[in-house]
Amino acid sequence: MSDYEDESMMQNGSDDQPTRIRDPLDEEDKEEDDQPPHRTRYEDDEEEEEEEEEEEEEEAGDSRAKKKRRHRRSSVSRFIDFEAEVSDDEEEEDYDDEDGHGDFLAPEAGDLDSGDLNRRAADYARLNRRERELDDQDLAALAEDYSRRAQRPAMRYSGDLNDVPQRLLMPSVHDANLWQVRVKPGKERDLVFSLMRKAIDTEYSARPLQIFSAFQRDSLSGMIYVEARSAKQVNEACQGLVGIYPSRGVALVPIEEMASLLQIKKQEVTVTPGSWVRIKRGKYQGDLAQVLDVTENGEDVGLKFIPRIDLNPKDEPSADGKKRKKQGTAGVNNALRPPQRFFNYEEVVKVYGRKSVARRNQIYLFQNDQFKDGFIEKDFRLTAIQLDNVNPTLDEITRFTRGQDGAESDTPVDLSIIAEASRKAAIAVLQPGDHVEVFEGEQSGVQGTVQSVEQDIVTITPVGVDFDGQKVQIPARSVRKRFKPGDHVKVMTGTNADETGLVVSVSDNIVTFLSDMSLQEVSVFSKDLREAAEVGSGTNIVGNYELHDLVQLDPQTVGVIYKTERDSFRVLDQNGQTRLVKPHQISMRRDSIRAVANDAEGHELRINDNVKELDGLGRKGRVIHIHQSFYAFLHNRDVAENSGVFVTRARSLVSLAPKGNLLKAGDLSKMNPSMMGGGMVGSGMIGRGPRDRLIGTPVMVTKGPSKGVAGVIKDTNGNLARVELLTGNKVISIDKSKLRRRKPDGTLEDLDRKPTGGDMRPPSVNPNMVPRTPSWKTPGWQGGMTPNIQTAKTPAWQASSRTPNPYLDGGGGKTPAWNVSSRTPNPYADGGKTPAWNVSSRTPNPYAGGGGSGSGWSGGGGGGGGGGGWSSNNWGGQTPGRTNDTSNDWQADTWGAPTPREAPTPYDSAPTPAFSAPTPGYGLGQQTTAPVGVTRIPNTPGYFSAQTPGVFDSLDDGTGFALWVRLAINSIVFAPDSPDEWVVKHKDKLIGNKPILKVRESSGWDDGKMDKKMVVLLDVTVPRDDIEAEASASAALWENGMQVGDPIAIPARHLQPVHPEQLGHTVLVFTGTLAGKQGIVRSIESDSDFVVQIFEDQVLEDISKDYLTLCVPDQFE
Amino acid sequence: MFFIKELTHTILLHPSYFGPRMLQFLESKLYSDVEGTCSGQFGYIIAVVSMSDIGNGIVLPGSGQAEFVARYRAIVFKPFKGEVVDGVVNNVTKMGFFAEVGPLTVFVSHQLIHPDMKFDPNSNPPSFASEDQIIEKNTKVRLKIVGTRVDATEIFAIGTIKEDHLGVIE
Repeated sequence: MSDYEDESMMQNGSDDQPTRIRDPLDEEDKEEDDQPPHRTRYEDDEEEEEEEEEEEEEEAGDSRAKKKRRHRRSSVSRFIDFEAEVSDDEEEEDYDDEDGHGDFLAPEAGDLDSGDLNRRAADYARLNRRERELDDQDLAALAEDYSRRAQRPAMRYSGDLNDVPQRLLMPSVHDANLWQVRVKPGKERDLVFSLMRKAIDTEYSARPLQIFSAFQRDSLSGMIYVEARSAKQVNEACQGLVGIYPSRGVALVPIEEMASLLQIKKQEVTVTPGSWVRIKRGKYQGDLAQVLDVTENGEDVGLKFIPRIDLNPKDEPSADGKKRKKQGTAGVNNALRPPQRFFNYEEVVKVYGRKSVARRNQIYLFQNDQFKDGFIEKDFRLTAIQLDNVNPTLDEITRFTRGQDGAESDTPVDLSIIAEASRKAAIAVLQPGDHVEVFEGEQSGVQGTVQSVEQDIVTITPVGVDFDGQKVQIPARSVRKRFKPGDHVKVMTGTNADETGLVVSVSDNIVTFLSDMSLQEVSVFSKDLREAAEVGSGTNIVGNYELHDLVQLDPQTVGVIYKTERDSFRVLDQNGQTRLVKPHQISMRRDSIRAVANDAEGHELRINDNVKELDGLGRKGRVIHIHQSFYAFLHNRDVAENSGVFVTRARSLVSLAPKGNLLKAGDLSKMNPSMMGGGMVGSGMIGRGPRDRLIGTPVMVTKGPSKGVAGVIKDTNGNLARVELLTGNKVISIDKSKLRRRKPDGTLEDLDRKPTGGDMRPPSVNPNMVPRTPSWKTPGWQGGMTPNIQTAKTPAWQASSRTPNPYLDGGGGKTPAWNVSSRTPNPYADGGKTPAWNVSSRTPNPYAGGGGSGSGWSGGGGGGGGGGGWSSNNWGGQTPGRTNDTSNDWQADTWGAPTPREAPTPYDSAPTPAFSAPTPGYGLGQQTTAPVGVTRIPNTPGYFSAQTPGVFDSLDDGTGFALWVRLAINSIVFAPDSPDEWVVKHKDKLIGNKPILKVRESSGWDDGKMDKKMVVLLDVTVPRDDIEAEASASAALWENGMQVGDPIAIPARHLQPVHPEQLGHTVLVFTGTLAGKQGIVRSIESDSDFVVQIFEDQVLEDISKDYLTLCVPDQFE
Repeated sequence: MFFIKELTHTILLHPSYFGPRMLQFLESKLYSDVEGTCSGQFGYIIAVVSMSDIGNGIVLPGSGQAEFVARYRAIVFKPFKGEVVDGVVNNVTKMGFFAEVGPLTVFVSHQLIHPDMKFDPNSNPPSFASEDQIIEKNTKVRLKIVGTRVDATEIFAIGTIKEDHLGVIE
């Protein structure tokens, strides 16, 4: 514009008033100065044309208005000089100006101060002079000058910034600033255009926009940038535009950031036919597609991919609109989209009808899509497909190559395609230390180790004769990871991620390995692999269960998953045994997030506590689960077995972290889980809320369409009730307010009113309340809630829970087993279920005087003696209240058992997870915990009864202590080389029949004190197979025809049968067809041949002496 | 490969065993503790050859147990890559077969079996068979270990019979 002003000045000489000051820095001036003179001539001659040009730009009003506008324009033309530098605009504007000068000399002079005018006049005079000088130069020089001038700006404005020192172009403090303006996201481009239009509109108005430029970046959503001198100008420009939020601040862009805002990164879009892409949106979102062709403008890409045709359309495919709509929804919801399936003419015709598919040669047309060879071929916008990170999987590509018929094509997977597609990714996964081989280029075949990766160049140290020691730089795309059979690898990405295994074969870049977990072979790209030392756990989730979940295996058993395999788990149960289970064998997952137990010091133990075992192995670990406040499942990565998961008693743990809230051991109420409010977590006994008492109420509907109909409330939910109508066999949901209680006499009353006596249901008796009789809350019952009862849900437990508690009425006697064992101090009392016990009950009992808790204690002591070296600190730790309650300690010599304490029974090493002694309730007196033992009776038949009379009688009553002793005995560790398992072999026949056995000569056991002594065998405990322990027998001394002293534990191998020697001996047949039967020797035929009268059926039998052993006379005698 | 290796093992002994027969007990306990176990470092401990030093038992405060650090010499078996071993086929599947080389299980993938030997899905027991040879359960094979996976408590190996002099041995 100014340029044309100048030109006009040049043309008209000084008779025109100068309207503007030239910006001396404006390079365009010169450019425009160089305009050939013919243009000015043109302007002179063709004024009309100027008008036309002007009209093109703006809609011209009447000439008067135009003139006025022009006048204003000239007054602010100073700004325009800065603003618009595009020559076309300037041209027009300059015409205007020029035009204006003629018309408005006088008003112009009035507008501008005279000083300004004078200065301009001087400027134009100077310019005029220069023009004349130019005329004087010779043409050659003129041409040279022109060309030089033309080149220079071209050089500086070509945008080729490399040729100009960058710093010279950088904005400085003298330049206008960039202002960042917040706008509505997505509207940036529109707003910039709006600003431009506004600028054009107001250009000649009184208040033109004072901004220089505006732009937006696609990468920066929600903001546009405006170049202006001040924020105020920006605000003015933005005023009135919808979508711009100047209120959110117009922020100044720091000068150093201005340049970077305008930098344009070159985007390389390389779509080559044959390459793999993914579809970004729509029904085929995420699907792999192959590029068929690219349109010339590069906007559309022809893709080939596997179609997803809905072969089960829900609505009739007749209406095209409907179909399209459905497709749309399918695209939105990927879960509902039809599966990928090759186009099959017959199938599609079957569903959509023959008309819907048109056929043209090999191409089918269906729903406006083309299908060829089963694939759909469709054009997509370049923006709708994803070119990077395509990562086609082997599966997808094999599907592609496999073709329509699903048959394996003869040609194997074209690896080059995949390799090409995954090459970029391959570069990314290369890491120093990887073994690679070069598979293309000059160094093809070279193998080596990656030293470093820089951009696309890897430096490798080749392993080979030629290059040994040298380092070679190779493009990353030319190398691939190399594995050899036997390598232990781990999958880094893909569906098999984290799988580890041993490589069995390698072909090009596909590696087959044998998974460590599933022992299945897996094929993956070598780029996805890394050599790995560790054994991967792979995915930790199978089905609904996850690693380290606490799961219920059966009503008695819970376990923690310590290893997941492909479709099964390894579970460590609470007894320390491991098993392999399938997800369907797990009944439920249990939550122990709130479970609490007490540790050895009586502190609360919770999940995620770091603890340490006090005894045993002293293992440390983090608590991952607590089961019934008794078992703690710990995890420690350093423990090798069971992947670091092990089970222990919560009571034997001590926290590693010091705990501030020390709980005194005496605070039994805190320690007793049964005394805590609510059900014990994990006990499964959490009561449900009371049932709505309205359920079962006969009602009458009094409002609504069903008015007058009678029914019974079946369920309630808020103010809705589900009423089963008496008529029509229907259940309806209805507002409670529409119901009235129907009394038997037919009268109605409000539902809210308490049912009267005439009601069908007993008044105020909640069905749920029935069991809540006081007996439920007896200690005995609560004992059931103590964590030691693992069997809370077993029928047996229920049975015992239902029995009137003996402590309730102080007498008991209604639970025979319990009663017997607790009331009578007879050690064999609980053998009540065996025929033998009656007999033995008649035998003098050393504990006859015991009874009560004291006897229980001493009995326990005896058991402890039998069990061997349990140390007293265990007592103290586990049964805090015990010593207070019981009068005599275990050293009390009320029992005259022959040195049972010296029994070699190092229970310490025994895993005694079932130890139930540490019920805090114990401390309240052993009677509290007594039911524990009782409840176990049905649970472990034979344990309490005849099978373990020895143990049991030493316990006197059924305290949980029995378990402990039993386990202690159970775990006696012996050398495995026991010579004779006679007792174990026949134990089924021996136990319960009270055979009299003899301790071997020179057994060496107990220093030989017991050698050749006769004992009555009471029980035999055979350890579990997986425990290195020897069978132990519980036996009592047999002297002078009676049982003497307390049962002691004897290694079973030291016992041998005592063969009968004379008539009248009561014998037990321990082997043969009559095994297990007792009889009396009636006749001795020979040294080894006895005639025995069997008690059971009074038949005389001829039995070899070797089959017989003496036994305690039975009641059948 | 078999080695004789000197190892140590810590035994905790309960006081009730303190007595004249303690050494005997310690010995048997050691045998039962270590024989048949596997450590990733040394491989499988096949048998204890001798107990070189039982050490002085130290009674631990608190529990009263005595801790013995026994040093013993044991035959250990550690498989190595490239080692040729004889084994007995234990299980044959489509993917290959598992052979037992003493305590070690070796998997031989079908890709590492000579292509002449094909899996015969119809045979019972399942087998890999060529014209003159058959690999089924209890077949004795000679194989070469191509890779081992060593865990803390287990060693697993894969092997090949796709080389000369490997395969079924009569």
